[in-house]
Order: sequence, then C-alpha cells, then structure tokens
Amino acid sequence: MSAIITASNLSKQYGKKPALDGASFTVEAGRIVGLIGPNGSGKTTTLKAILGLTQFDGELSVLGMDPRTQREALMNEVCFIADVAILPRWLKVKDAIAFVEGVHPKFDRSKAEKYLAHTKLSPDMKVKAMSKGMVVQLHLALVMAIDARLLVLDEPTLGLDILYRKQFYQNLLEDYFDEHKTILITTHQIEEVEHILTDLMFIQDGKISLSASMDEVGERFTEVMVEPQFIAAANALQPLSQRTVFGKAIMLFDGVQRAQLSNFGELRTPSVADLFVATMKGTYA
Amino acid sequence: MKTMKWLIKRELWENKGSLVWAPTVIASLLGMLALVAIFLGKNVQFNDEGQAMQIGKVTIEGAMRSRIAETLSQAYVASAMPVFMILSLLVFFYCLGALHDERADRSLLFWKSLPVSDLTTVLSKVLTAVVVAPLITMSIGIVLSLVILLAACAFLLAHGTNLFGAVLGSADFYLAPLRLVGLLPVYILWALPTVGWLLMVSSMARSKVFLWAVGTPVVTSLLLLWAEKALHFGFDAGWFAANVVNRILLGVVPGSWLVFSKDTVSLPHEDNKLALPDAIFNASWSTLGGVSVWIGVAAGVAMIAVAVWMRRRREEG
Repeated sequence: MSAIITASNLSKQYGKKPALDGASFTVEAGRIVGLIGPNGSGKTTTLKAILGLTQFDGELSVLGMDPRTQREALMNEVCFIADVAILPRWLKVKDAIAFVEGVHPKFDRSKAEKYLAHTKLSPDMKVKAMSKGMVVQLHLALVMAIDARLLVLDEPTLGLDILYRKQFYQNLLEDYFDEHKTILITTHQIEEVEHILTDLMFIQDGKISLSASMDEVGERFTEVMVEPQFIAAANALQPLSQRTVFGKAIMLFDGVQRAQLSNFGELRTPSVADLFVATMKGTYA
Repeated sequence: MKTMKWLIKRELWENKGSLVWAPTVIASLLGMLALVAIFLGKNVQFNDEGQAMQIGKVTIEGAMRSRIAETLSQAYVASAMPVFMILSLLVFFYCLGALHDERADRSLLFWKSLPVSDLTTVLSKVLTAVVVAPLITMSIGIVLSLVILLAACAFLLAHGTNLFGAVLGSADFYLAPLRLVGLLPVYILWALPTVGWLLMVSSMARSKVFLWAVGTPVVTSLLLLWAEKALHFGFDAGWFAANVVNRILLGVVPGSWLVFSKDTVSLPHEDNKLALPDAIFNASWSTLGGVSVWIGVAAGVAMIAVAVWMRRRREEG
C-alpha cells in the first residue's frame, strides 16, 4: 500500500495560539479516513495545509507533491467540498458544468449529468434559487465527475436535513468511492459517518491523539456493562471513561484483553462518538 | 489558452449586467434620444465657421455639402462618446469587485478547488477589464453611432440633401471604427496603473473597497498638501495629486492620456474646430513616446503582482 498523505511534525500558529502542534500522520490509498476533533483542535488547519491553502512548518507530502509549492498540479488530483467553499449565487447549473469541464482535465461531463438527472436541478437553475441541500447536490455532482485520487470533505453536510445527508454519503459510497480513491472527511456528525469509515484519526490541541483503522479500533477499545459486584475490580484496570445507563455502569477500556473484561459483564464495541467523548474528556474544562 | 477562455466567460457570466447590459441600455436610451431629436426636433443645427444654420430649412449644396459629409464620416463615432465615458465607470467598479466579491460571497475556496493558478485567474480579470470590456463597449458604441449617422443622413435626405453616397463612399467612414479599435493598446497601457491599483485594493480590503481605493490616495494628497502648506516641507503635493492620484484613479477614463500628457503632446487643431479624428489618433499614439506612461505600466504590473500574491497567500476565516 502506498501513502497518499504523509505528514510529519506539522506546526502552525495563529498569533500565539498554536493551531497545529507537531501533528504527524499518514493516509493510505483506498481508505476513507475520518478526521475527528473538537472545535479549535486544528482539523480545518490540517485540511487547509493538505490543500495548499495555508502556510505551515513541517514536512507534508500529498500524492508526492508539496502543497505549498505545487498547488495547481495538486488540484488536478485532489477535490474538495468544504462547508465554506460556497458556490457563487449567480452560477447556473449548466455554466458550472461547462466551466469545470473547461478548466479540469479529469472532468467527465456525462457522469455529472447522470448524477444530476436524479435530482431536481435543471440546467438553467441558478445557485441563488437553490436550497442548501440542492447546492451541495450540485457541488457533489461536479466533484463526482472528476476522477481525482483524493477527495477532502470538510463538514460537507452541515446544515442539511437528514434526507440529504443520508443521500450524500450513499452517493459517495456507491457511485464514487473505489480502491483507487481516498476520502478524508471531517465532521461533527460522527454517527452518520462512522459506518463508512475505514480509518479513524482523532485530533486534539493540534496533535493527532489516535490514528487507527476501524478494525484496530474494534480490537483495542471495548465497552463493558459492568455488573455491580465487579465495579471495583473493573476500576482497577483504569477505564478511559465511565458512565451510567439505567443504573448500570458502562466502562470503556483501551487495550485490555476482551477475555479478561468478559468476566465483568456484557461486552460491546464502542461507538466512535462514545470513544470520541471519552478521549476528548476535559477539552473544554 | 482554453482555461483563459473559460475564465473570461466566467467573468462575463458574473458581470453580464454591468459589462454588457449597462452599456446596451445606455446606448439604446441615447439612440432613442438622438432619433427623437433628429426627427422631431426643430432646432438641429450645424455650427460651422461661427454661422449657425438650421438644416431643416435649406438644401445644402456644393462645398458646404461635402464638408458636412466629410465631418460626418470622420467624426460620427464621437456621437457614442457618452457610452465610452460609461466604460470608465464599468471598468472601475469591475476591478474593485474582481478580487473582493469572491471573498465576500465565500466562493473563493470553490474556485481554488480547481486546477487554475492564482496568476491565471488574476490575469483573466485584467484581460476582462482592459480588453473584453472595452471591446464590448466599443462594439455597442459603434452600432449606436452608425444608427445616429444613418438617421441623420435619412433626415437630411427627407429635406432634399442626399449625403448617403458621399458618406458611404468616404474611406473615413470605414476607418473611423478601426481608428477607435486601434486606440485600444493606448487605452490598455494608460489604464494599467488604475487597474493594478484597484485590483490590489480589491485583493486586500476586507470591506469598504471603494473607500480604501479612493480614500487612501485622496487622504494622502490632503496630508501632503497640509505638510507642504503648514509645515513647509519641500514637497510638491500638486505633483503627487496629478501624477499619482489621478493616474491610479482616472487611468480607466478613455482619452485620459491626452490630459495626462498635455505638457508634451499637443493636439493640433484649428481655432473653434473640433480636433480631427486622425489627429486624436496620432496624438494618442505619440503619448507612448513619453516616460510617464511606462512608469505607470511598471507600477500597474507590480500592483497586479501584489494582487496575485495576496490571492495566493491570503487566508480567509
């Protein structure tokens, strides 16, 4: 497997506040990676660095290129949809397609039109007449028609209703993703993406605090509904977190053998959201 | 090349209202006014050699007739002058918004997600300002002036004076639009400092672009004037206003070059008569012999480079 992104020791400061503080990670080809972190943890700065939209210190190679100096060449291979990358209000659907076809060597018009045929968008419609969900559909149609190797999504479904959100990820998985493509995604709506991710990265205070495949996460982290009589014994194994549901203590363990934990009670694989909350404890305290 | 074509199309999509419709509407209004004046007006006059005469009352013959035909076929393009003056406003405000609007409506990141360099993007905006917009306005202006010329000839014909043959047979009739288009290179060179300044401000200002673009040079002039008058600094504020402020704000006005170089290039014209079109044409090109236009070009290119750098490096939000 080859690495699509290799980052080592990324650092960036806004004034005195560090946005990135020595973040290091790699992203392999053919993965769907979730970059998850609390507000202000450096998620967006990381994505901006990868996309060549910001200056930073440290080593970063995206598809073998340095985003700081080879941005234009990089953009032939990388697509992104960001909550903040808004389509201009005056743009018509047909003009958007014509423009991207005109400037992007890897754009396939028929794919975009095929996708748009399943939406309510018509060629003469202007962005200002669209709902937010329709704008994202148009943007997704443009991006899915580009044969890029890396797709970066920054809160792509923010502000969309559940129907659009489900459809967005479904389209992405069924019609776009294949083993030659890599998707890097950040979102706060963890529950909706966790079943499509293959890899998970947690970022905290500008550092990567967890980087693992979903399989590894499943092996490493275990949740136990601890029977009351075993609480003291379970606590001795230093759970990451502990919460109480319907009077039962639920503890989350990192790297403890499942066989050992199964003595305490029923085992579960924790959701990414629970893992996130447990790992990020005290972030805003 | 292909990318540039699409970038310029993009500019036209975004600015169709100001770059195409505004001059068209103004030209239509002017055309209607002119037609109304020609066909309904009782006081259409030719001022020639100090003698006003009303063409509705006499049939014009002989030397006077050929003189009118000559003037008409040489200078008819001038009847679209108001449209060309509007061009300066269009280009001015187009440049002010060119690099600011995409940040204001937050579409910048969408444009940046495509494999188009900042240099190419900014150049497409420069080309739109100094080539595409003037060519559109010129075409509209030429159509308007043709309509007015033909209407005037038709009016004369109705009163017994047929100038169609003389006008349409004159080489000047065909040369006039070419002369106009031939002034485009002069316009580009003289407009560059203004276009560069406005694009630079447009790429820098977070808001109130107009205020920054106009306020900065005006306030600087006033400060210099104050320093000169009150503190007796040996600085010529008038020179600054004339050579810097005017050049970076008024360079987009067609014909501004004749004002800026009036000390070195003079328009030969006889007393009480309009300068002839070919004299204007020659004088315009001879302004390129001076140094000041090239200093302005260099400054304009430098400011455009700053705008490219700002678009490349600036981070939003």
